[in-house]
Amino acid sequence: MNLTEMDFDDLMEEAYDLPGGKAKLELLEQAVRVADAAGDIDQGYEARSEIVELGSFHGYPMKALVAFSWQLGQYDKNPGRFDDYSLMWSYKWVLDRITAFADISRTQIENLLEDMKTRYAAEGYSSRTYHYYRANILEDFGELEASEAEWAIVQTMDRDEMSDCEACEQHGLVEFLAKQGDDEATVKAAEPILKGRMTCGEVPHVTITKVLFPLLRLGRQKEADKLQKKGYKLVKGNRDFLYHQAEHIGYLTLTDPVKALEVFEEYIASSLDHENPADQMIFNAYSAKMFRRLAEESIRFQVKLPVDHPCERQFEDVAALAKYFKQLALATAEKLDKRNGNGYYTELLEKL
Amino acid sequence: MENQNQDTYRFQVNLSGMINILSNHLYSSPKVFLRELLQNGIDAITARQAYSPAGYEGKIHVEVSGTSTGATLLVEDNGIGLDEAEIHEFLAMIGQSSKRGEDFLSTNTSFIGRFGIGLLSCFMVSDDIVMVTQSAKGGPALEWRGKPDGTYTIRKLEGAHAPGTKVFLRCKEGSEAYFEESNLQEGLFHYGALLPYPIQLVSDRNTRLINPLTPPWVKDPQLARKHRDEVLSFGKQVLGETFRDFIPLHTASGRTGGIAFILPHAVNLNAKRNHRVYLKHMLVSEAASNILPDWAFFVKCLIWTDELQPTASREHFYENAQLEQVREELGNSIRQELMRMAEYDPDRLQSIISLHALSMKALAVEDSSFYSIIHEWLPFESTYGRKTLGELKQQPPLYFTATLDEYRQITHVASAQSMLVVNGGYIYDAELLARLPLIDPDVQTERLLPEEVSLSFTDITPQERLDYYESVRLADSVLQKFRCQVQLRRFKPEEIPVLYTLSEESAQWRVMEATKEVSTDALASVLGSLGASLKETAYATLYFNLNNPIIEKVFHQGNQATLPSIVEMLYCNALMMGHYPMNRQEIALLNQGIIQFIDWGLTANQATGGDE
Repeated sequence: MNLTEMDFDDLMEEAYDLPGGKAKLELLEQAVRVADAAGDIDQGYEARSEIVELGSFHGYPMKALVAFSWQLGQYDKNPGRFDDYSLMWSYKWVLDRITAFADISRTQIENLLEDMKTRYAAEGYSSRTYHYYRANILEDFGELEASEAEWAIVQTMDRDEMSDCEACEQHGLVEFLAKQGDDEATVKAAEPILKGRMTCGEVPHVTITKVLFPLLRLGRQKEADKLQKKGYKLVKGNRDFLYHQAEHIGYLTLTDPVKALEVFEEYIASSLDHENPADQMIFNAYSAKMFRRLAEESIRFQVKLPVDHPCERQFEDVAALAKYFKQLALATAEKLDKRNGNGYYTELLEKL
Repeated sequence: MENQNQDTYRFQVNLSGMINILSNHLYSSPKVFLRELLQNGIDAITARQAYSPAGYEGKIHVEVSGTSTGATLLVEDNGIGLDEAEIHEFLAMIGQSSKRGEDFLSTNTSFIGRFGIGLLSCFMVSDDIVMVTQSAKGGPALEWRGKPDGTYTIRKLEGAHAPGTKVFLRCKEGSEAYFEESNLQEGLFHYGALLPYPIQLVSDRNTRLINPLTPPWVKDPQLARKHRDEVLSFGKQVLGETFRDFIPLHTASGRTGGIAFILPHAVNLNAKRNHRVYLKHMLVSEAASNILPDWAFFVKCLIWTDELQPTASREHFYENAQLEQVREELGNSIRQELMRMAEYDPDRLQSIISLHALSMKALAVEDSSFYSIIHEWLPFESTYGRKTLGELKQQPPLYFTATLDEYRQITHVASAQSMLVVNGGYIYDAELLARLPLIDPDVQTERLLPEEVSLSFTDITPQERLDYYESVRLADSVLQKFRCQVQLRRFKPEEIPVLYTLSEESAQWRVMEATKEVSTDALASVLGSLGASLKETAYATLYFNLNNPIIEKVFHQGNQATLPSIVEMLYCNALMMGHYPMNRQEIALLNQGIIQFIDWGLTANQATGGDE
C-alpha cells in the first residue's frame, strides 16, 4: 500500500512491526501528519510518544525533542487527558541528550532542568532524579567537580519510581570515574556490571567500552580484548550506540588497526545522518585517530566510503582522511566549548 | 515396622511446595510429565547400553487402561533400573534441593538426580505413583509408592524380574485429558519423534508404534536432498504446515543438524521465531528463538543437537559461546545454500525471494559477499514499478531517494518524465542501494533529492523569461516570508499545476516552527535556538508548471492584481496535499484566501447576472 493512502491505524500498526530505524520513524512521522491534519490530538500524542522513544534510543534525539515539546505543550493545555508517568519518564530521555546540541544555551538547559524538578515535585517524586540528571549534564559541560558534588547529593537520597534502573545508575558512576581518569576505580565500579549482576536494556552494552582503555593502561589487555569482542556484539547494528561503536574503533586502533577500519566502514554511513552532534564528534575524532595510525603503515588501504561522501575520491589517502575527520570533530568541539564556556572538548579530542 | 520387607520413610521435602514450583514456575504445562518419563526411560536405556552393550536393544512400552479418573498409565523401559541405594539417593537429593528450588534443577545433571525430578513431575497429573524397578546390576526388584502428602514406601518384591523400570500413574481429578489415548499418542510423537528406540503405545483397542525408524538424514542432513518428499511430509507431520522447500542444516562437529523449512508465506520482521529443537533426540523446545541468526526469519527449523545446554525447564538454551557458534554455523548452512542456488538453481532462489525479500535484504546488509551474489534478484519499488535490482541496474545511473517522504514528493513527476527513481525509503533499501557500487563497480548509484527532480524539467525560453519576469518576481515576493522561492518551468504531467519540494532541513524547520506554537515556554525557546541554524539552510521551492493552461493564464500579464492570492492559495494547497504542518500565519492565509475567492466569485456572478 502506498504510504499516502494509509490511515492512522494502518501506519501505527505497520510501525509497531518494524525494528527501530529510519523506516519506522518515517511511518510514525506520516502518522503524525495524518493525525494533525485531522486535528486528532490523542492520535497525535500517541504517535509522538513512539517518536520520542524511537528517537531517544535509535539516534534521532532532535526528532525526540521536537515530539516531546509538542506532547508537553498539549499535556499542559489538556489537564488529566494524558498519562503523567510515561511523559515524566520520557522527560529524562530528552534531558539526557540535550547537551549534545551546541545551539541550546546553558540557561535554556538549566531552565528545563528546573522545569523537570518542579513537575516531578508536583507529582510527588523526590528531587533525586533532578540531581542525578544535573550531575550528568554538568559532566557533559566538562565541569567534573560540580558534577561530583551532585553525585554526592544523589548518593544520600533514596531511590524512587522516577530513578533510572540500578544498572544504569551504576553505569553512570563508571562513566563519571572514567572521565575523571581514575582507571582502577573505573574498573572496580564496573565489576558488578561486567560480572552480570546488574543488567538492563543498555547495560553492559555501554559500559564495556568505558573499561577497555583503563584495562589496557593497567596492563590487562587480555581481559580487555575479550571484553571488546563481547561488547562489540552488543552494540553492533544499533545506531543509538554510535558513541560506543566509535570507542570500539578507538580501542581497536591501539590493538588491531585493520579491524578498526572494518568497524569504521560499517558505521560511517549511519554516522552521517545521525542526529546527535556530540556522538558524531566522537565518531569523527576516533576515526581521525585511526586514519593517523593507518598512515604509519606501509601498506595501501582502500577505504570503503558511502556514495556521495565528500571524500569519495580520497579513499586511498588515509592521511587526508585523518585530517578531514579531525577537522569535523574539532568544529563541533569548538561549538560545544563555546556554549559550555571552557575548553573541555577541544582538550579531550587532543587527549584521545 | 511390622513387615521386614516394608519400610516407611518420609520425604524431607515439602512435596506440595516442590510440585508447585514445578508446575507453576518451571514447566510451561503439566503435559511435560510425559517428556520427563520418556527422558527417564531413555537415560536408563543409555546407561544400560554402556553397562552391558552386547545384544541389547532398548525399547519403551506405554500402556493406558480405563477411562476418566479410573485411567492408569504405565510407562516401561528395559533400561538399567535402580537399586535401593539409588532410590534413596535421588530422594535425598530432592530433599537437599528443596530450599534452593529451581537452582538445583539447572545444576543437577546426574542421571539419578534428573531421574528424581522427572518422577516428581508426574505428581502434576497423578496423586498415586508406583514405580517397580529391577536393577541390571542385581539385587531384588523394588516397589516404590509415593504420595503427594510426602510419604513413600519401598517394598522388596519376590521372584525374578527383567531389568528395567515401570512407572504406574493413576489419573488425578482434573487431569483426565492427559490420560486420553489420542492425546498420549500425540504427546509421545511430539516429544519422541526422533528417538532412536521404538516407543510402543498399547490401549484396550490398539497397539501402535509411535516413532518411525530414525531416518538416515537425521544422522547426515545432507542426505535430506535425496529424500525430498519424505522430509517434506515429516515437516508437515511435526510442524503442521505444508512446506515446499527446505535447506539442510549442519555444523562442522556433526553434533548439531537439522532441516530449515522455508515458510510458504511472507512473515513479519518482528514475528516470533519458533524453531523446534531436539536435544539428544528428545524434544526440548518448540519455541526456541535464539538458535538461528536474527536474519533467518523466513525459515522454521527442526534442529537436533547434543551439544547445547538446556535451561532448567529444558525448554530453552543458555546463551553461551557454544550456542553462539552453533548459531553461526547453522546460519552459514542457510547462507551457503542460498548462494549455491544463485549459481545453479536461480528459479528456486527467485521463488524464495519473492516471498522473503525482507529476510534476504536483512542478510545482505550484514554480509556483502552474500549481497554480491544474490543482489540481482532483490526486488525494489521504483517509478518503473516493482523491479529486481538486476533489471534496475541496466539503466545507469541509478537514482534513489533515501526516504519514503522524498520518494512521495517526486514520484508523480518523475514517473511522468519516465525518469527511473528507486524508492529507498523502505527498511534496508537505501543502505543496499548506497552499497551497490561496492559490490558491482560498473554501477553508479546516486541519491536523488526532491529538488533535483527539477533537473529534468524544461527551462522556459529566454523570451518566456522576459515575458513572465514581472509575474515571477511578484509571486516570489509573496512567498518569501515562508522561505519558499518560486520557479517557472515546463514539466509533465500538465495536470499538475505546481510542485512543492523542500529540503530535509526545511521539512524539519517547518515541524519545529509548528511545534513551538503548542509547546511550553522553556521548550519553545529551545526549539527557537535549534531552528535558527536550520532556518539558514532551510529552503523550499514551488515550481509552477507553464504546461498547465491555468498556470499559463495566471502568470499572463494583466493578472497582477489576482496573482498574489492565487499563488498563496496554490502554496497552501501544496502544503495540505503534502500533509506538511502549517503554522498560524499560513492557516490565516488560507482562510483569507477562501473568503477572497468567494467574494470574487460573487462579484463576477453579479456582473454577469449569474450567467456565464
